[in-house]
This record gives sequence, structure tokens and C-alpha cells, in this order.
Amino acid sequence: MTFWRRETREAELDEEVRTHLNMAAQTLTERGVAQKEAERAAKRDFGNVELTKEVTRDAWGGRWLQDLISDARYGLRMLSKNPGFTAIAVLTLALGIGSNSAVFSLIDALLLRSLDVPAPRELVRITFGPPGIDGPLSSPMFDRLRERQRVFTDIFAWTNGPMVLSNKGVARPITGAYATGSAFPTLKLKPRLGRLLTWQDDEPSALSNGVAAVISEDFWLEHFGGDPGVLGQPITVDGGTATIVGVMPGSFNGITVDYSPQVVLPFIFDVALHGKSSCRFRSDCTWFSAMARLEPGVTFAQAQADLAAIAGDVLKELLTEGYQRIDYLRNGTLSLIPGRTGNSPLGKVYGRELWTLQTLVGLLMIICCANLASLQLSRTLNRQHELVVRSALGAGRLRLVRQLVVESMLLSASGAAAGMLLSQWMSGLLVRYVEQSDFPVFLDLRPNLTILAAVIALAALTVILTGALPALNLTRLETEEMLRSGAQRAVGRKRHPLAARLLPGQVALSLVLTSLALLFAVSTGRLLRVDPGFRVKGITFFGVDFERRPEKGEARLDLYRKMLDGLRRAPGVEAASVVAVRPLGEGGIDESAAPVEGHGPEDKHLFENVVGPEYFTTAGTKILAGREISKFDRFGAIPVCVLNQAAANFFFPQQSPIGKHIRSTEPNPKRPSCEVVGVVTDAKYLSLRESAPPTIYYPYEQLPDFRWAGFITRSHHTSAAIAAFKDALRRYAPDTPFLPPMTMQRQLEDSIGKERLVAVLSLFFGGLALLLTSIGLYGLESQRVERRTPEIGLRMALGAQKSDMLWFVLREATFVFLIGLPLGLLLTFAACRFVGSLLYEMSPLDPRIHLIAVLSLVGAGLLASYVPARRAVKVDPMAALRYE
Amino acid sequence: MAEKKERYQNRIELLQGTLDLLVLQTLQWGPQHGYGISIAIRNHSGEILQVDTGSLYPALHRLEKQKLIKAEWKVSENKQRAKYYQLTAAGKKHLSRERSKWSQFSQAIAGVLNPEQT
Repeated sequence: MTFWRRETREAELDEEVRTHLNMAAQTLTERGVAQKEAERAAKRDFGNVELTKEVTRDAWGGRWLQDLISDARYGLRMLSKNPGFTAIAVLTLALGIGSNSAVFSLIDALLLRSLDVPAPRELVRITFGPPGIDGPLSSPMFDRLRERQRVFTDIFAWTNGPMVLSNKGVARPITGAYATGSAFPTLKLKPRLGRLLTWQDDEPSALSNGVAAVISEDFWLEHFGGDPGVLGQPITVDGGTATIVGVMPGSFNGITVDYSPQVVLPFIFDVALHGKSSCRFRSDCTWFSAMARLEPGVTFAQAQADLAAIAGDVLKELLTEGYQRIDYLRNGTLSLIPGRTGNSPLGKVYGRELWTLQTLVGLLMIICCANLASLQLSRTLNRQHELVVRSALGAGRLRLVRQLVVESMLLSASGAAAGMLLSQWMSGLLVRYVEQSDFPVFLDLRPNLTILAAVIALAALTVILTGALPALNLTRLETEEMLRSGAQRAVGRKRHPLAARLLPGQVALSLVLTSLALLFAVSTGRLLRVDPGFRVKGITFFGVDFERRPEKGEARLDLYRKMLDGLRRAPGVEAASVVAVRPLGEGGIDESAAPVEGHGPEDKHLFENVVGPEYFTTAGTKILAGREISKFDRFGAIPVCVLNQAAANFFFPQQSPIGKHIRSTEPNPKRPSCEVVGVVTDAKYLSLRESAPPTIYYPYEQLPDFRWAGFITRSHHTSAAIAAFKDALRRYAPDTPFLPPMTMQRQLEDSIGKERLVAVLSLFFGGLALLLTSIGLYGLESQRVERRTPEIGLRMALGAQKSDMLWFVLREATFVFLIGLPLGLLLTFAACRFVGSLLYEMSPLDPRIHLIAVLSLVGAGLLASYVPARRAVKVDPMAALRYE
Repeated sequence: MAEKKERYQNRIELLQGTLDLLVLQTLQWGPQHGYGISIAIRNHSGEILQVDTGSLYPALHRLEKQKLIKAEWKVSENKQRAKYYQLTAAGKKHLSRERSKWSQFSQAIAGVLNPEQT
């Protein structure tokens, strides 16, 4: 039955029935009955006209749709009649669904989503490293492996790295990647335009014919305006030139989930740039992130076995003596891990934290559902009278339940819609937290089918919990009894069991969330207050890219000196120096050394930094003994070095290290030995969480093959330092790109990004849980007060004190807390076992934290009880009794 | 009122097959409107079968939906516009099938009720 034809049919049915009545009446008048009498008799014979019509309409079919529409209309009217309830319910749902979907979309993007290539499950990653490290391979390793393996259709390697694009004298940083020629054929990708890289592009012959490059679709659209004429155009990257031969499909964002390369070049391009010293030929240079596609029919386990069989040979032949990092290479093994989702360094860093957050928002969702259920339930209770009347007027139980379910569906649909909007906004915020370092993190957070399905499932769950359950509970009404008891709404005398049962659970879960939130927050606060051993305020780092400057050797050192002078003279800059390794940055330099005098112990795990004159003054690291590196520590002067306290204590326990000598025990030492001229306080090196490792500082001007270091400045305003650096760059090294600077503050915050993420979000979720539980409690109590106003009035009339009435209200809350709190504490202590390792130097069982959590929960409960309690106390006995 | 409605529905269910058969049989003599059908059934059954309009109209509309009969608005001999139902080809086939079923059924019942006659 088409819907719009229905009205015509209604009219026709009316006429049909009218004709019937007319004809019957006419027959009677022809027999001599009076007109009026005849009409009455005809009607009597016909029976119930409206009922006949209704049953006839049933015969048309499509009735359910009709009913659904009228249910929906009625539902909308009921919801808009009660805007407070509707707003709270939709907001609760939106918050629950929104936070779940936001966290889940991040998990999906970082950990779950497949690479957008054909048959991604066949992909595997081949990694190298000592146990626990899934690192890249060296090029010779990769070549040897590619010759030997028999279980993959092919293997390929990929290396991400920032690059500098030069165009008409303007340099700008871009995201780039190197790939072996086998990469695109193995990934089975089809080009968006032109062609993708092939093996021929990565052969040495490509060097003479010009190296090929492919670009991403986004880069093509943004940089070349989507011009198909881009094919064949030259592109200058990192000082070398390649020819664009194709555009990658837009759905492919590289093999690393958080890094989307704009330009992909064959590895031969690195040979073109660096010649014989390219990493392409070096066994000690592990930079090939290797992936492979399993041969059809080969299982993961078979491939693993095959790899293990040939790994020994592949590695053995390559490890000759004399390499730096020989320990790393010797201890390394090849291993196979699934590659469906590609490589996800961020996912590795954030994985545990994200799943922790997902668990927290999952708990929050349960609280949301419980809240909705009690809200909905108390509303249905208040509507009991309406339901009874409707049932008396002929509505079946199924019909009533359906009405309530339709209303919950309306609610959850609008809640889900609002939640999706909220989730978009929240995941944007999440990415900003996850983002660190100079390059923006690339994350594709489009809501995909998985997320949509998860959200819809959550919404459906809510519908069942909030709509059907209370409805079933309620329609067990006995109509007659209810009607007899009249309009006094004395129906729900007994405490409705569901809400009372749900609330203690809500309290328990809220306690878990609050306690965990406090734990994470306090732990992160501690981390932020740790003394890192250097200044945080006012420090700015500037990276430079002098590789393609003409100045080499002494001239390069001179360029650094001129830049430093320029910076120091600039207004607003208090101090400036040179530093190779940014504290708390991405990496460090390993060093192993031993003292020359006294045959002291050798430290194999020393960290090294290369700094300029006055570095310690600039960075605010205290000098404990001796002196700072000065500008006189140059090539030709006595080689000097500075130790931190940890290193000094290690090499020279209980004696002054000043004037003693340290020799490097690396295989090919850059400098045989140095004189210790100073000792500085321990400064954090790689992370705030780890205590400062033994560190040795060398002056950059005494390094024989000094190639690179960045600048560090101290200034009151960061903007002054940036202006000064831009000015110095323009003056002494024009045509060099200005790379985004990094403040120490940002660096520090980045380095504890995941701790902050967990702390901020869990505080947010904990707060929400408190709020929702308070709303639930408030709902329960105010409804109780409303329902029992006559009783309260009677008691007060009989002489009950205000304090008695207060207790009357609070009794409910006390009951809820007496069950909820112990349950919550139990759950919290169970949960604490899993979060201990996420915390910084504190016990997850710290009683103070849990006490505060309990107190804040009780406080919120009291606050929620305040309004209903006041209402109970203010009941006017006369008015209440008259109502009864 | 709820119970009353249920009673109507029960009655339709009880009489469904039979009423359909009676309606189709009546329409075999030519197109007829609802009132005419009810009168015809009453007259042909010797006033024994009283067709309840609460069952007749749903049955007519259901048969129309099943395409066993079709309806048309025509002017009656009394110059009144009325909805006339008539058998379709499918309706005729259905009728003959149902008739033979019905006679088998009534013979069987008769056989059970009067065993000595067989």
C-alpha cells in the first residue's frame, strides 16, 4: 500500500460505508418505516461503524508503518513536552557515544585499519634488531634476504624521512620517502596518474637516465593544482633532481600510519646524492623498513620458519669487525610480524594508553546507559497514568511497549547523531595531543564503517536497555486496579527496583573512573614537576640544513661561529649555543668510553652530546666543578670533554675527575682521548621518566668530521629568538630553509604526550562519570520526594522534625553509597594492577588518592541530594494533605 | 472496548474461509455492492446466515488485495454512487477450487456425524 494513496482510500471507505447505511435505510423506508427510525435501525444493524472501518483498514496491510509513524509523531510530541529530560538524555548519549567513537577512531586509525591495498592480509613486516626491537634492516641484509627467500612473492623496503623541496629558489620542508623498486608492484597499487616506480627505476642505470619520482594525490592537487601535465616535470628534493612519472592513489598514504609521504623516490636517489657513502652500501646503516607479500598458500608460520632458516646465513656474512654499533648488529635477529596495518610507531607508543582509555570510556558508556535507563524508567513511572488510560482505551501491551521503544529509538538516534558530531571534534583534539615533533602527524580519522557499526551497536544497546526493559517492567500493570485508585498516582508505592539496583553500580564504576583519573593526573603532575637538569622556560631550538652549503670543514665551523655571533648580538636573545642532540628529543648518540688513568671500569652505554661554547650556561645546566666548554676549545687545542655527575661518579668514584682523561672505546674512535675539564648536573637525556644516564659532552669544534648540529637560544620571548635566527640565516646562509623551531616547553610536553593524553582524558571522563552519577542520584531522589510528598506532609503534620525529613531523603543515597563504594573500591584495586606500569614513581594503591576519589564522589552525591532534600524539608503539610 | 474489538477479530478468523467462499459465490451472479452482497447471502441462506458487516467489509477489502475480486464505482439503480465488486479470473478459479474443497469437507463432516448412512 503506497502511503500517499491511503487518504483517498480512507475517503472511499467512508463513502462505501455511508452508501451501505443509506441503502439499508432506504430498504426500510420502502417497507413503510419512518425515515428517522429507518436510519437508526440501519446503524444498529451495521454495528460499530468506526471499528468496522478500522478492521477493514487492517486488511489493507502496511498497518505497522502507519502505526510506526504515529508512534514516532507521538514520541516526538512527548519528548518535546519534556525538554529537560530530552536534553539530558540526548546529551548523556552524545557524550557516551561521542567519547567512545573518538577514542575508537584513534585506535582504529593507529592500530586496526588495514593498508588500502589489495589483499592486505598477505603483507608481513620483516624486522631486525635485538630482542624487543622491531627495527629496520640494512641494505646489504635486505639484498641478501631478497636473493635467498622462497616464501614471498617479493619483498620491498621503505624509509620515511623529511625532505627539503626547492622550487625557484624557495625551500620548504616536505614529507618524503624512499622505496625500493619492488615496493609498488608488491603492494599491487594502481597509479592515479602516469605510472608508479618499478625495479628499473631503482637500478644503477637510472643514475644516468635521471631518477624517477612519484607524488601523492594531495601533493599533486595542492602543489600542481591537479595538472595532468605534471608528468615529466623535474622536482628538486634535498639538492638532487628527479622526474615526476606518476601520482599515487589518494587512498594510499604510505606504509606508516602516521606519516603520509608527499614524494616517494627510489633508493638510488640517495646514491645520487651521497655517492659511495650512501647508506645503500653500508652494513652498519639500518634504515630499510622491510615488508613482503606472502606467496599464495604460504602460511605465516611457514614463512616464519623459512625466515629463521636463512636468517643466520644472511646476518653472518655481513658482520665483519670494525663497525660502530657492533653490539646492536651482533645481537640482532630477523623476525616476521603481520603487516596488514602497516607500520605504526605512534600506535606502538600509544597502544597501551589508548586501550586503557578505551576501557575507561567503555565504563563511561555503561554509566551512561544505566543513567538513561533510570531516567527513562522514572519518566515512564511518571507517565504511568497516561499509559493506564491508553491501555484502558484499547491499546495492547505490545503497542505500549512499542511506543516506548520507538521513543527510545528517537532518543538514541539523535544521541548517536550528536555523538558523531562530538566525536569529530574530540578526535581532532586527540590528534593534537598525540602530535609531536616538527612534522604534523598525519592521521586519517574519517569515520569508517567499523566506527559507524560500533556506534550503531552502542546506540542499539542503549535502546534495548532504556526502552524495552522499563517498558516490559511497566506494562505489567493491572489496569483496573490502577484506574480505581484514581488520579492520585499512588501507583508506584514500592521503590522501583531497577533504578535502585543500577545506581550502586554507577557509583562503583564512577569511583573506578575517578580514582584512575586522579592516579594518572597526579602521576603526570609529578612528571611535569621533575627537575630535568635544564631550564625549560625561554629555551628554543633551531634545526639547520647546511648539507648543501658550499662551506665545508673549517669554513663550515666558521659559518657556525658567525651564526652564533649574530644570534648573541641580536636584541632579546640572552644566550646562544650549539647542540647536536636536543634533550628529550627523538634520539641520541651512543658512546662507550673508559678512563685512561687508573684502569677504571669501561662504560659501554654512555650517551654523548656535541655542544658549543657556553652551552651549559644557555641551557641552564649547573656546572658543579671545573669549567664550561669555551670558544678556545678548538681544533689544535687540547681535546677536552665535560662529564655529567653520573658519568663522573662512574669513572672516577670518590675523586675529582677534573684534569683526568677519558678514552673512547668505540671501534673507530673519532678522538682517542680527552681531558675532563668540567662536571655538570645530571640532565635528562631521552625521557623524563628515566633518570639521567651517564653523559659525555664534546665541543663541536674539536670533532674531526663535524657535520651537523642545531642552535639553542635563551630569550624572554620566543618570538625574539625566532626573529634573530631568521635574520642570522638570511645574513650568513641565504637559500637555506627555515625549519620550524621547537621550544623546550613544547619538547618537554611532547615527550610526555601520552601521559598527558591519558591524564587529561581520564580526568574528563572521570568528571563526566561524577556528573552522570549525580544526575542519576538526583533523578532518583527528586522522584522519590515527589512521589511521597503526601507521606512527608502527613509525617510533618504528625510532628516529624526537619532533620527526620532530611534523613528520609538521604537514606536512599546512603543505601546507594553503602553498596556502591565498597564495590567500587574492590573494582578499583583490581584495575590498579593493570595501570601500575603507566604511573611515574608512585604506587597505584596510594591511599590518599583513593580517599580523595571517595570523598569527591560522596561530595557529588550530597550535592545532588541537596535540591530534593530541600524540597522535602519545605513541604507544606497542609498543601500536601489537601492534595491527598 | 478492547475486548469487543478482539471479539470481532476472532469472528473474522473463525468465519474467514467460509465468508470468502460465500462472497465469491454471490459475486458469480454479477457485480454487486457490499449491501447487496449481505442481502444476497441472507436471502439465499433462507435468512439463516446473518453476515456481520464488521466481517464483510474486511473480507471484501482483503479479497480485493488478493486480486480475487476487483472494485469499481458505479451508479446504482437508485441513482446512488456505490462501490461494485466483481470476480476476476483468478477469483473464479479460486472459487471453483474452494467449492470442491468445501463439498469434500462437508461430505466428510456429514460422514462423521451420520456414520450409519455410509
